[in-house]
Amino acid sequence: MSNSVISVISRFLEEYSSSTPNKLKVVDAYLLYILLTGALQFLYCLLVGTFPFNSFLSGFISCVGSFILAVCLRIQINPQNKGEFLSISPERAFADFLFAHTVLHLVVMNFIG
Amino acid sequence: KLLKRNRICLSVFAVVLALAGAQGLTPAHHLSLPDVARLQSLLSQQFTDLESAYYSVLGLTKLGAAVSDHKQVCRFIKSQLDPTSIDSVFFAAEASQAISGCEIPVSNETRDILLAAVSEDSTMTQIHRAVSALSSLGLPVASQEVVGALTARINKEDNVMAITSALQTAARLSKQAELGGILEEIEDLTARLDDLGGIYLQFEEGLEATAMFVTAAYSLSDHVDMEPPLKEDQVIQLVNSIFSKKSWDSLAEAFSVASAAAALSNNRFHVPVFVSAQGPATVSHSQPTLQLLVTDVMSQPLASANVLVESAYAVASKSIILNQAPFTLNDGVFELNFMSKQPASGYYQFTIAVTGDSRLVANHVELKVKVSTEVAVANMDLSVVDKDQSIGTKTTRVDYPSKAKSSFTADSHQNFAMSFQLVDVNTGVELTPHQTFVRLHNQKTGQEVVFVAEPDSKNLYKFELDTAERKSEFDSISGTYSLYLIVGDATLENPILWNVADVVLKFVDEEAPATIQAKTLYVPKPEIQHLFREPEKKPPTVVSNTFTALVMSPFLLLLILWFKLGANISNFSFSPSTILFHVGHAAMLGLMYVYWTHLNMFQTLKYLAIIGGVTFLAGNRMLAQKAVKRYVS
Repeated sequence: MSNSVISVISRFLEEYSSSTPNKLKVVDAYLLYILLTGALQFLYCLLVGTFPFNSFLSGFISCVGSFILAVCLRIQINPQNKGEFLSISPERAFADFLFAHTVLHLVVMNFIG
Repeated sequence: KLLKRNRICLSVFAVVLALAGAQGLTPAHHLSLPDVARLQSLLSQQFTDLESAYYSVLGLTKLGAAVSDHKQVCRFIKSQLDPTSIDSVFFAAEASQAISGCEIPVSNETRDILLAAVSEDSTMTQIHRAVSALSSLGLPVASQEVVGALTARINKEDNVMAITSALQTAARLSKQAELGGILEEIEDLTARLDDLGGIYLQFEEGLEATAMFVTAAYSLSDHVDMEPPLKEDQVIQLVNSIFSKKSWDSLAEAFSVASAAAALSNNRFHVPVFVSAQGPATVSHSQPTLQLLVTDVMSQPLASANVLVESAYAVASKSIILNQAPFTLNDGVFELNFMSKQPASGYYQFTIAVTGDSRLVANHVELKVKVSTEVAVANMDLSVVDKDQSIGTKTTRVDYPSKAKSSFTADSHQNFAMSFQLVDVNTGVELTPHQTFVRLHNQKTGQEVVFVAEPDSKNLYKFELDTAERKSEFDSISGTYSLYLIVGDATLENPILWNVADVVLKFVDEEAPATIQAKTLYVPKPEIQHLFREPEKKPPTVVSNTFTALVMSPFLLLLILWFKLGANISNFSFSPSTILFHVGHAAMLGLMYVYWTHLNMFQTLKYLAIIGGVTFLAGNRMLAQKAVKRYVS
């Protein structure tokens, strides 16, 4: 059982490093970074307490929002999905990403207190 | 034609009045006799110049008071007169007209100066004073010219005092002149009055302006015999505004009030009526007549008035007791013997109507009349009842105002009972006054306990004292208590405080305190310590710093990963739009920081719109260039 899990994982990693274009790997590194930041914030909240609650929420939501937007960007610039996003060029996707981030950061900064 | 229109107006007005029946406004203020006296004494002060002489003499004349020493006044006027000044001639002419036997000599020069003032280049005040002087001196006035000058001046001087002067001037002109245009100004001025709470109507310019307007409006209306466009309620509101002030700052103000009082008590159209009771509006057996004073705004009794009660009903039961009952005039006071109808004691609402003159305004008045009576206590029975009813009750009858000869004893097995009736001395009807209390007063300790006696369905008052049940009120202190009966009510003329008997109360488990502690109501209370909101406990700085470093660490990981992947900026093109885009983007991030530290949302949005707009345009350019490059390659 564990054998098959390990073999699935190693197969996956191989496929990933060989067939994913570099651009997407860059975005994936960014996604990992966001994930870790969010997880560490949550850990702090669990260990030390929720004071000040609004700051925690704002930081955590910033991580969650950024993660989601980065995922959207990744989906849109993936060449394999070109058929689904005919009207959206990668540049357009990036511009949307930036705009959405502006709005997200406005809200986050408002809430951070 | 004017006469016929006026007749129709008057009859319609009368019909409306008759139909109005129930309540319009009634005046809240008027000049009572002391007020008139005060006004007169202010106007009788020694005058120092022609203007004050004018106000004094004319003011007193309007109030119907006599001006003292006409000869001396006439000499003063003649000595102070300056024949080249329009104002001086005006004051002198008007004042001399009011006192008998005083003729001011007028030279041709003076007459020419006055006539020359009648032009649209003079101020309204000058025109008014010149025309009035000419009229008082008996000199001819070219009425149509004056009307022309007034109309032209009204357009230039639009303020209240100026238009009021125009109205006054028009009242001195010939009736043949075209005064219609100036008459319409009354309606325009009425629209400019400020309504304060539905009770007062006045100009924001003040009391003098309002009073002079009323004087001028009625003066002109009487002159042309056309009813002024003032509704009944408006007239009463004006009365309230003008006569609410009881001490006057200047002679001019006093004069304006006197003029308004004279105008409102003697004009052809509206005469406000003031109805009040003489003394308190109370009747009783000793004072059976209700007396009313019916006067005009200057407290002068109305010569030809009929006063009658349209209806009167009892406030408590709403039953009608009077209908269309007339008052009889007795020595200037209107009287009605109300007690002859044998009303029960209490309050009655009267609706009184004053008729006899179609000019009367606010002639329906509501008055609350109190009928008071005397009370007597009957059948006062005191007894001590055993709780288990095994021993028969012994009832002692006590008559007011004597005290029971022996005292009553009640311990915890017994109740002390009292029953009595309260009757109207004159009619024998049972009464239920507002205050029927039984007070027990311990003479030794000064303690006092008060109970309420309640009537049953047959209006028989009963009071029962259960010694065991009530021991807390008495603090269980046994002893001799004096029993008082207290009866009082607004409609009773003889409130009763009667020491009926002495009651000895015996309580079980008597407590120690021999003296009473007065209730500490008025000593300082214990201080309240305010607890401010405790700030929340913060974690130690070490922990915060550690976690800050920890949270920043994934960024390092990101940089390492990117380096390993070979992410680079070698494709960076140094075109202006690219640089502008990156600068703009950095500025937006900087704005976020500044927002956190200094700004509020509105300011941020403003700056964001500017920077964002620039960044967007530059970014759009840059990305388009990149897309083109991508397509080409």
